[in-house]
Amino acid sequence: MSKKKWAIVLDDSKCIDCKACTVACKMENHVPLGMYFYRNWVAERTKESEFPMIKRMFRPSQCQQCENPPCVHVCPTRASYQTEDGVVLVDHEKCILCKYCMTACPYDARYVNEEIEAIDKCTFCYHRLAEGRIPACVETCPPKVRVFGDLNDPDSEVSKLVKMHDTEVLKPEKGTKPKLIYIKR
Amino acid sequence: MSLLKTKVSRRKFLGLTSGALASTLVMSNFGVLKKVGASEEKGNSKYGRKFVPSTCAICVNKCGFIAEVDNGVIRKINPNPKFFKSRAMICARGNAGAKVPYDPDRLKKPLIRVGKRGEGKWKEVSWEEAYDYIVDNVVKLVRKYKNRSTIAFASTEGFQEEYFIDLANIIGTTNTVRHPTLCLASNIQGYSSVFGTFPDADIANAEFVIIAGSNRAEAIVTPDTIDMAKNHRKQTLIYIDPRATKTTALADKWYPIKPGTDLALVLAMIHVIIKENLYDKEFVEKYTYGFDKLAEHVKQYTPEWAEKETEIPASEIYWLAREFAKHAPRSIWYPGRRSSFYANDVYYRRACAILNAICGAWDRPGGLIPKSKIPLRKYEIEFPIFDWTRDRIDAGKVPFLGDVLPEEDKTDAGLPTDSCQYLSEKDGSWILFREAILKGVPYPVKGLFVYKQNPVESVPNRKKTLQMLEQMEFICTIDVAMSDTAWYSDVVLPESTYLERWDPVHSLNGVVPIAVMRQPVIEPLFDTKSMFEIMCNLAHKFMERKDFWEDTSEEDLEMFKETCLKRLTKNPVKDFAKYQVSKYPGAFEQLLKEGVFYLSDKPKYGKTLKDGFRFKTRTGKIELYNVKYEEKGLHPLPVYTRHTDPKPGQFRFVVGRHGQFTHASTQNNPWLLEAYGDKENAVWINAKVAAKMGIKAGDKVKVKSPVGEQIVKALPTEYIRPDVVFYVHGFGRLSKGLSNIYRVGASDAEIIVDYMESISGNAAMHETFVTIEKI
Repeated sequence: MSKKKWAIVLDDSKCIDCKACTVACKMENHVPLGMYFYRNWVAERTKESEFPMIKRMFRPSQCQQCENPPCVHVCPTRASYQTEDGVVLVDHEKCILCKYCMTACPYDARYVNEEIEAIDKCTFCYHRLAEGRIPACVETCPPKVRVFGDLNDPDSEVSKLVKMHDTEVLKPEKGTKPKLIYIKR
Repeated sequence: MSLLKTKVSRRKFLGLTSGALASTLVMSNFGVLKKVGASEEKGNSKYGRKFVPSTCAICVNKCGFIAEVDNGVIRKINPNPKFFKSRAMICARGNAGAKVPYDPDRLKKPLIRVGKRGEGKWKEVSWEEAYDYIVDNVVKLVRKYKNRSTIAFASTEGFQEEYFIDLANIIGTTNTVRHPTLCLASNIQGYSSVFGTFPDADIANAEFVIIAGSNRAEAIVTPDTIDMAKNHRKQTLIYIDPRATKTTALADKWYPIKPGTDLALVLAMIHVIIKENLYDKEFVEKYTYGFDKLAEHVKQYTPEWAEKETEIPASEIYWLAREFAKHAPRSIWYPGRRSSFYANDVYYRRACAILNAICGAWDRPGGLIPKSKIPLRKYEIEFPIFDWTRDRIDAGKVPFLGDVLPEEDKTDAGLPTDSCQYLSEKDGSWILFREAILKGVPYPVKGLFVYKQNPVESVPNRKKTLQMLEQMEFICTIDVAMSDTAWYSDVVLPESTYLERWDPVHSLNGVVPIAVMRQPVIEPLFDTKSMFEIMCNLAHKFMERKDFWEDTSEEDLEMFKETCLKRLTKNPVKDFAKYQVSKYPGAFEQLLKEGVFYLSDKPKYGKTLKDGFRFKTRTGKIELYNVKYEEKGLHPLPVYTRHTDPKPGQFRFVVGRHGQFTHASTQNNPWLLEAYGDKENAVWINAKVAAKMGIKAGDKVKVKSPVGEQIVKALPTEYIRPDVVFYVHGFGRLSKGLSNIYRVGASDAEIIVDYMESISGNAAMHETFVTIEKI
């Protein structure tokens, strides 16, 4: 079996900031209530913003599942690690809450989960992948802004989207090689 | 009015509700009904993991979902991939619905008030006690006033609302009042006056879409919202709104139109399309009536004139008109909600429909499409005819109509001054209804049942609603939470949530109709019952009261016992649902297993364009010129009326939706409140105006209207016109049973003036001017 390379390709021009992804994620992953606790989010990145020239734009995001993840490199206890198929996870048992990873992450994608006393973040719903299901945020999204799949499979939808469109990643200068890939507007 | 006439209208009224031609199903003992929902699940173990398809009820869309249940507890509500109407999605609210049954603010036992109204002192009682209390009070009131219509019924849509209406029929009142006149009654009226029906929009196949008076990104409607977003790269979307809502994110152009002038824009577009011969001549010739009169009428409405009214440049109006015509029939002026704009809203909606009609963008791919439905079987029930039933209080000539019309609309030719012209018999008109009750004209209404609706927060001018409740001698509210209306009630019955019960099959009518029902995802928590069970139990309790039936005949009563008591109330909802779809083999099993049933997943176009088809209008054609309106003394063609501008220091207050909130019903859900991003609402005020007034973000301001005032946080923003202010609906609540939002933020019901659109009876919610004062 060939190795998977899980990724999410996003067309955020379709995003209406309905927050279905953020609520679905909290439900699926038992993320505690509270605005400082989140695995994913939607940011407003409006460019023209003076009345009456308004163009609102939204950008949903989450852990970038970097191929070169700084959080993993700095973790002193190896709690943060990368799976065979490239998903960055946190072993809650090993986490000592030193927060090095939070400092190292250029995307502010990690938070302190006080209930489990560990750092927590997006796992691409790894528990769902094992059952052949897609991440909750991808599944629930009304206009399907996110598409999930295997970049190593040339026939997958994500591979086709990347081939078909101009794409970009967030903060490429950090050299993190994100696997959240945004279709350019 | 003669008794006979009352009886006739009563029959007609009854005909609108659910009925029974009973299949001979098991005559269950009444007590068995208590566990209708759960009884079928007994075979399955409560333990383990299961996936149950059912239907969401957190808003009006009824999206299919598949609930993941772990050891009897809902873990997650996932979208149903087969549910194509919602394009297989579940929104934030649908997701947060998983927590609804476990909400600590849920009603858990029947309650009877022991303190003063609104004091919040309750006694927990058994269902038997609650039923006895209700029946005693209803019988007492009906006998005291010798009038069954003294009991009113207020409700909003839902899969069990028909059982609430059944209860109204059992009691024998004509006074039911539903939500449409707080929402889209004028919209339905306007489009229907042209096409004879209220259509859907084929957004999936449209090329050019104009939305005005609707905010589809935040007021999610399926499949429209999703199709607009999905088509973003290939469809031109024009958005017209005084606010830059989240819908502007999908829009190619946004016009912050001057409020109250939308009709001028549409008329000017029609003007251009006719003048430049851009309309569909063949279609107009074959299917429409009154084109010549329309052409003559719109000559006066030039884009140059409309520019002064709307503040949209004439060049843009020309562009809009030409583009609209160019893309037709794949063009849509979107028949959106938030229709309760202005007191002349029906004329505006008529013009929108006419624009689509003359371009031939009707019943063809990408245009407006008449809704299709999936026919279902139903019971025919014969409710008794009562001598003590009287006509609706808001029907016919209403002497005080002028009290609920804005100044400029009282005297205008073409607007009726004596009655609401096209009042729907089941829906009524909330504004007029309340006004009539407050004035006691033509008779006193002293009892009120409320189901799922929350008039205290939903109907403009909250003080008047509270006065209306105050003069009631008996109020019973049925809900899942302590709504503000429940808070002021005498008896509160806790309903099982949509995740705990069977609901009958409903056809979701649209471009592609789809049938859905509900099955319990979990067993009912707490001592709650469905509306069906409540209706059944009360029906039998009423039967025990001999003194309740003396104004009806023996035959009527027998017929009622046979049809209603033996058939409807003795067959569990599950069996009824099975009966509803019994003409489609395998449909019920499919609903159980897949959560959805449909005859086709492809739209059918052109059924109204076939030879010999008659539109439901007087002429049988698409009426650009409405013959019935002319007869009733209304304008047969849409006439523009200039609206009053706010005076210096005043702002027009507008209403609007937010993606996390369904009307006033989901603000108390902590997950949605968090997704909304704040603990309270805030008043949008144009940033430059706010700066001039010395108002900064977060400052507390007083928003004052002719009917009320509220203190609220300021939100200076570029996203709104300088002459308009807005805050989101559903905050500043009066019920302590809504612990997250009690007295938090500001209520819009408190400050909106209760004006009315006189043709449809729709509340006109954009006719309120307010002042803002920093405190």
